[in-house]
Amino acid sequence: MSELEQLRQEAEQLRNQIRDARKACNDSSLSQITAGLDSVGRIQMRTRRTLRGHLAKIYAMQWATDSRLLVSASQDGKLIIWDSYSTNKIHAIPLRSSWVMTCAYAPSGSYAACGGLDNICSIYSLKTREGNVRVTRELSGHTGYLSCCRFLDDSQIVTSSGDTTCALWDIETGQQTTTFTGHTGDVMSLSLSPDSRTFVSGACDASSKLWDIRDGMCRQSFTGHVSDINAVIFFPNGNAFTTGSDDATCRLFDLRADQELMMYSHDNINCGITSVAFSKSGRLLLAGYDDFNCNVWDTLKGERAGVLAGHDNRVSCLGISSDGMALATGSWDSFLRIWN
Amino acid sequence: MDAYCSNNVLQARRAVEQLRLETELQRVKISAAAAQLVQYCQDHRRADPLLTGIAASSNPFRDKKTCVLL
Repeated sequence: MSELEQLRQEAEQLRNQIRDARKACNDSSLSQITAGLDSVGRIQMRTRRTLRGHLAKIYAMQWATDSRLLVSASQDGKLIIWDSYSTNKIHAIPLRSSWVMTCAYAPSGSYAACGGLDNICSIYSLKTREGNVRVTRELSGHTGYLSCCRFLDDSQIVTSSGDTTCALWDIETGQQTTTFTGHTGDVMSLSLSPDSRTFVSGACDASSKLWDIRDGMCRQSFTGHVSDINAVIFFPNGNAFTTGSDDATCRLFDLRADQELMMYSHDNINCGITSVAFSKSGRLLLAGYDDFNCNVWDTLKGERAGVLAGHDNRVSCLGISSDGMALATGSWDSFLRIWN
Repeated sequence: MDAYCSNNVLQARRAVEQLRLETELQRVKISAAAAQLVQYCQDHRRADPLLTGIAASSNPFRDKKTCVLL
């Protein structure tokens, strides 16, 4: 037997071992445990604000930590910082490349970042002495498109890319501190853990992985989806995460049980999920779909609790403010809506 | 062994190393893990505005009242 065949056999054996270990922990299910739990009832939200100003599809958004400002990115080539309370635009930043796919807001509020088909993560300083917004760093190194980026703090950012890797960058030096390799397909999304020590990634290889930020190691891998994973978000206590996929399902994975606990799907839902978010307690799972709607799911019971209709095109991104007061959705219809 | 072969072997070796790491994981029973998730949701229920609803008076996004110039 060639070395390659030996290795493939060993891999098969190890995968079976993992499968058996997971089965041994499968003494119940989340559905069984929550059978007697009160349902959340009908969740209805209304659009409280419509943010108008982008001239093309919106691809990404993120709330600032003050739960009031937010950043959005559109393929009209602009990054807009909005005051969601007044709907005023605080900044409208022209981008060097209009093919933007992701954006992020630093926790301090001092920086924003974006990137896309240019393969670069550009960092913008929002609080310069002169009062204008300018690019302070262009982080290049990825050999594929930038699909997602998230600030750890003002000097570090994590990125995911179509080149199948993720990276941790030192913004000051512009260098990759750590590269995270292992996915065999484009990495589409990432989510930082609440304690910032790990992050999860979702990729077109239908798997999601948990990474240790400091040492670059992949700690756990999760399968189950049957198509590209487009979105991933940590559950607020950091012990679980949810993914959204082109296979029309969202799935909840628990880190300690190392397996899928729940699938959120319906026979009437046949389109892909683009974005996912949890409400502050984690009880509600919000998911944005290609069919222009947003569905509200009861995380614990797996039932659909509501539908948010209003956009005239695909919901491409969404996020819940850190005080849990509002959901923001961004769409290919060029508008953002604030709901609660 | 040509470059194509050695690349595949390298990838296969890495895959096996990663899988060995992942088999070592200490896993927790689903009953315990699920119970913790439920507990977290219950503990934080009251602090979740989208779940419990928001009174108009405390909603920063309540409908703006329009001004009328008389």
